[in-house]
Amino acid sequence: MSTPNSLSGWARWNSTFKRLLGPSAALCVVILFFSLVAPESFCTTQNARTLSAQSVVVVLGAIGMTFVVVGGGIDLSIGSVIALSSVASALVVRAGFSSVTAALIGCAVGLMVGCVNGFLVASARLPAFIATLGTMGIARGVAKWLANQSTIYPPEDWTSSLMAKNPDPVWLLLAPGVWITIVIALAFGFVLSRTVFGAWVTSIGSNESAARLCGVPVVRVRWTTYALCGLLAGVAGVLQFHRLSGGDPTTANGKELEVIAAVVIGGAALSGGFGTVGGSIVGAILMASLSNGCNLVDWNSLGRWGVSTEMAQTLSSWFGSSGIPNYVQEILVGVVIVIAALADRRRHR
Amino acid sequence: MQSLTTHSNFRRSILVLASLVFIASLGAFSAQEKTRPMIAVIPKGTTHEFWKTVHAGALKGASESGVDILWKGPAREDDRDDQIKVVESSVSRKVQGIVIAPLDEQALVPSLKEAATAKIPVVVFDSGIKWDGRSSFVATDNRRGGMLAAEELGRILAGKGKVVMMRYVEGSASTTLREDGFLSTMKEKFPTIQIVSSDQYGGATVDSAYRVAENLLNRFADLDGLYAPNESTTYACMKALTDLKRGDKVHLVGFDASEKLVAGLRAGSIDALVVQNPFRMGELAVTTMAKVIRGESVPKDVDTGCTLVTRTNIDEPAIRTVLEPPIAQWLKK
Repeated sequence: MSTPNSLSGWARWNSTFKRLLGPSAALCVVILFFSLVAPESFCTTQNARTLSAQSVVVVLGAIGMTFVVVGGGIDLSIGSVIALSSVASALVVRAGFSSVTAALIGCAVGLMVGCVNGFLVASARLPAFIATLGTMGIARGVAKWLANQSTIYPPEDWTSSLMAKNPDPVWLLLAPGVWITIVIALAFGFVLSRTVFGAWVTSIGSNESAARLCGVPVVRVRWTTYALCGLLAGVAGVLQFHRLSGGDPTTANGKELEVIAAVVIGGAALSGGFGTVGGSIVGAILMASLSNGCNLVDWNSLGRWGVSTEMAQTLSSWFGSSGIPNYVQEILVGVVIVIAALADRRRHR
Repeated sequence: MQSLTTHSNFRRSILVLASLVFIASLGAFSAQEKTRPMIAVIPKGTTHEFWKTVHAGALKGASESGVDILWKGPAREDDRDDQIKVVESSVSRKVQGIVIAPLDEQALVPSLKEAATAKIPVVVFDSGIKWDGRSSFVATDNRRGGMLAAEELGRILAGKGKVVMMRYVEGSASTTLREDGFLSTMKEKFPTIQIVSSDQYGGATVDSAYRVAENLLNRFADLDGLYAPNESTTYACMKALTDLKRGDKVHLVGFDASEKLVAGLRAGSIDALVVQNPFRMGELAVTTMAKVIRGESVPKDVDTGCTLVTRTNIDEPAIRTVLEPPIAQWLKK
């Protein structure tokens, strides 16, 4: 494994490009496929807005998870932290504070759980899988307890604008939450690929003892990766609260697996030492496009591409007229994950 | 050198893909004609028997009123966020109408408002929503169902005795109405019947409801009647009555039908069941939406009806179609 700072600028770019090629090509194929089979609905500005709003939660989780995974760890608590943060923000809004205060508290709650994870994994040296499995349960339980086992609704006059797909100043084009995510993605991508801290994260993921010998503050760096991941899960929770217009303690159940899948599809090595923020985002958008597109497929529109009516009817009778059923979608995502893992294996040989 | 080649290969493939995407998006704007209106029907889930029955009814309604339906549930059963995604993609698809059983009375409001902004009418069925932009609300009149149960239990007990009403869970709107309807009818029509307990919640699982039923039966040794407001509590009461051998003394009136409950009704463990009509609910939801699309006026609330099933009427053809709706005829797969 090579660390980015050991390579020249061009070679570094080139290696990143090669890593991104697979996931990006896969994303293009998916977009192309749905553009062909769902022409009227997939390739529209409205759907671009929708798809971007649908992806933000997993994208934010995947950015944080990339840091943890590149540093050789894993964080299973993301889904629960999203729920906890959304419940916390909802409670703060209901208590009469402003949306901004609520958002800050939601993020702070995420950061707090991230710090606990960091303490358990980096300082107490527990295996990351076990430690975050524990906090996953704790955060979910606390969320249900705080919310008294039901959904917390803010007062009637409270309006959620962060995730409005047709934002109020029209020139924004996308939901404000999407712009927040884009800014975060650029900042965190820069940190991972361009700063000393990013190089440290990579180095402890690829060879921890070598990194320690080189003077990398391993414990502090690992701590920070979990804290950042928790913080981003907190942001995701705030956005989820705005999207559902309520704090739901059962939301994002199993989201951690979707996030890990996005990171793996994006070309990161689960063994640590490699991964890019860009790749993980591509992975997240790929999965979101798959589920969005599967809902939009209209077999009868295939006629325009020269497919016979009988063929379209056969496809309809196989998959039903309601596009591609949910179980096919689940199988597809599973297949994509396996292919991504196989590609990763080939690179390492 | 090799790395340079890879790089230009990469750029070339990106160019090819980009142009293909461009061509595809050109195709997106060519007009397409459709003869029958397309309606999205969005249930709370897809694997439960209840929703399969609604699906069959929706297909019948579609064939009656000359529309096509898109049956699409949330990818993860009972996940609010996933149901919002289905609404959003229905708007993207530009369906002519959305028929939805909302998982949450508030979480779905913003996305349905967006549908309304896009001039797509919305019919809500099964569960209510805190939004008055809907064209119609098609659901079981749960209060009436509770009243039916009270009338039957009062008739069986001939207006006297001690009755326990078990509740389901706190905050469940449909079952609370069934409980309120039962209590008010009992008070009005059978003032001599003594309701000895009406504040015990069975909880969401059969397991918890079973424990509550056992405790209630032990507490009231001279009980005459028992009412349970949904499938799981009815099953728990039936099981507790059978296990404690109190079945021949205590009369049980329950709500909803399942294979086990119908078998219990035939065996005599249950005296009567109030049964909803999910098949008719699916049918009425779709036909109501078809009327909205044609510009006809529709009532704000449509009752899909409750039926009282007893041992004597269980084999009548009308009751049979409620208990065993023609699912196979409409769902070919």
